[in-house]
Amino acid sequence: MKVLTANRLTDGEVVFWTGEAWSERFVDAGRYDNDAAAEAAEAHAKGQTTLLVDPYLIDVDEVAGGWAPVSYRERLRALGPTNKLDHGKQARGGEDIALLAHAHGAARSKGRVDLIRRK
Amino acid sequence: MYRYDEIDREVLADRAAEFRAQCARRLAGEMTEDQFKPLRLMNGLYLQLHAYMLRIAIPYGLLSSAQLRKLADVARTYDRGYGHFTTRTNLQLHWIKLKDMPDILDELASVGLHAIQTSGNCIRNLTADPHAGATADEVDDPRIWAEVIRQWSTFHPEFSFLPRKFKMAVTAASADRAAIRVYDIGLRLHRDDEGALSFEVLVGGGLGRLPHLSPVIRDRLPVRHLLSYLQAILRVYNRHGRRDNIHKARIKILVASLGPVEFARQVEEEWSLTDKAAVDLPDTELARIRAAFAPQGFETLPAVSTPFEAAKSSSPAFARFARRNVLAHKQSGYALVNVSLKAIGETPGDCSSEQMEAIADIAELYSLDEVRVTYEQNLLLPHVKLDDVPAVHEALAAVGLATPNIALISDIIACPGLDYCALANARAIPIAQDIARRFADPAQAENIGELKIKISGCINACGHHHVGHIGILGVDKKGEEFYQLTLGGSAEDDAALGQVLGPALPADRVAPAIDHLVEVYLRERRTGERFIDTFRRAGLTAFKEAVYAQAH
Repeated sequence: MKVLTANRLTDGEVVFWTGEAWSERFVDAGRYDNDAAAEAAEAHAKGQTTLLVDPYLIDVDEVAGGWAPVSYRERLRALGPTNKLDHGKQARGGEDIALLAHAHGAARSKGRVDLIRRK
Repeated sequence: MYRYDEIDREVLADRAAEFRAQCARRLAGEMTEDQFKPLRLMNGLYLQLHAYMLRIAIPYGLLSSAQLRKLADVARTYDRGYGHFTTRTNLQLHWIKLKDMPDILDELASVGLHAIQTSGNCIRNLTADPHAGATADEVDDPRIWAEVIRQWSTFHPEFSFLPRKFKMAVTAASADRAAIRVYDIGLRLHRDDEGALSFEVLVGGGLGRLPHLSPVIRDRLPVRHLLSYLQAILRVYNRHGRRDNIHKARIKILVASLGPVEFARQVEEEWSLTDKAAVDLPDTELARIRAAFAPQGFETLPAVSTPFEAAKSSSPAFARFARRNVLAHKQSGYALVNVSLKAIGETPGDCSSEQMEAIADIAELYSLDEVRVTYEQNLLLPHVKLDDVPAVHEALAAVGLATPNIALISDIIACPGLDYCALANARAIPIAQDIARRFADPAQAENIGELKIKISGCINACGHHHVGHIGILGVDKKGEEFYQLTLGGSAEDDAALGQVLGPALPADRVAPAIDHLVEVYLRERRTGERFIDTFRRAGLTAFKEAVYAQAH
């Protein structure tokens, strides 16, 4: 599944395409399960040059209670910086924000620790 | 300090007016983003994850109180009431709106500030020893030479489209506080027995994907030839630097591939063909700039201050602050006071508008109106009377700026990382906060002693991780954050690149790993050894085992 996102030209705010308009909230984003439709929406957005900077498609996945971007970077864009929880979209609060904040991505590795065996 | 003259002010006003028109054309759709992006970058405006980021130049890290107050005002009016000081001694505002940019540039220009030379493949904003003009170990004031290079390099037509960005650092002291070996050009001033000044010229340092420490390409360059020699270096680079591969475009790659001897030969050859008199600075102009940095306002004071000594005796907290943050000044009865922007649990380098205003007030009252920015993301009050240090400490403490941790384990460099930066792979700030909280006890931190932790959220190394005693590099694995540790780096006189400790760790294992590394150090250290000394003597193995061995 894909979602179309961009930054707004005038202020850089992260926005998501609902299918009809640009929303500041990830929860409003329209989801594409069809690559051709997603790419058509992206191509249309690339034409909106006085409104947007750099529209692109992101992967999203189903998580408990809804949907979230697969990559941590995109979850951060949908929330705001983790060092200042009163800045960015997360400041608004709400269930959709809580869902994104608790989502996990595709990576399940715990890292390669415990490598050296003690005798 | 140098005050902008009529020409400087005109340049800034013209530049702001030009960008106002460019913004209007972009917003009206008369320019595409591809056309506009290089123009906004030349004015320090980047698009990051959540908003635009404005990088404001602070040439050689020097600010007047009025300039710092203006930065506070701009941050409050157009951003979210804070700014982030960087390892390049610039200030970044992270929540800027494009539509406000023309007004912001006007505001900055009103106090001689701007965002020129903060982006693009030009000669970037200069850095210099933050102790300039205040330390006894310098042979001249490096700000004079940094200002000379600033005036020469700003909008230099030949060097505005180099193969890649170009950074220089200047010091005149025996101790390197400007990280000159990791710059494209590092300049160190020397004075010979007859009193003549010369530059030791180092070329080809840098961090990033392919880190290099710079070699010396000329041992002693008479100072009067500084500009013609810099021109010769830049001409060789401009001619032969690689424009086909962005990862190999910095001068460090050219110097490494030619070898320092051949690179130096080419520079000398270019220089021999140069009409030096046409390029080098006239003595009258040098004298004008030198006069701007002449010491003034110092009083004749005894070396020992009774109020300072009394405050140390009566207050253990003040005594600790004096030990950690206060340094000897070349002028009797004065001190340099470091202002740590590393309060425990806060974002390294961040400073609120209220804090900036408080520091501006303190500087005006107690530090001859001057503030410095250090590449270690702290501020410095360079000229404080010892008698006034207790009052300065109290005023700093009132705004949360009296953390006594300079050069200790919680004085961590961290880039903005994935919390803000569009290039980052992983966050740097929360890792720094975790480590600082773990070592929040000032007595424990002081017992551990000098330990420089430097964190970058990606391989571009804005957080100088290669030259941290402990370096931490954020990497991305399938969209999740991991961290690679390096040990044994330094950006100072004992400059070295760190060695990789082992495989990358998940975020929640980083602070515990630092704990294990410190335990090994405390166990193994010999009298007088800092963490890095013990590491260099004892080697990687014991440290590696402490982090990667299975728990019992």
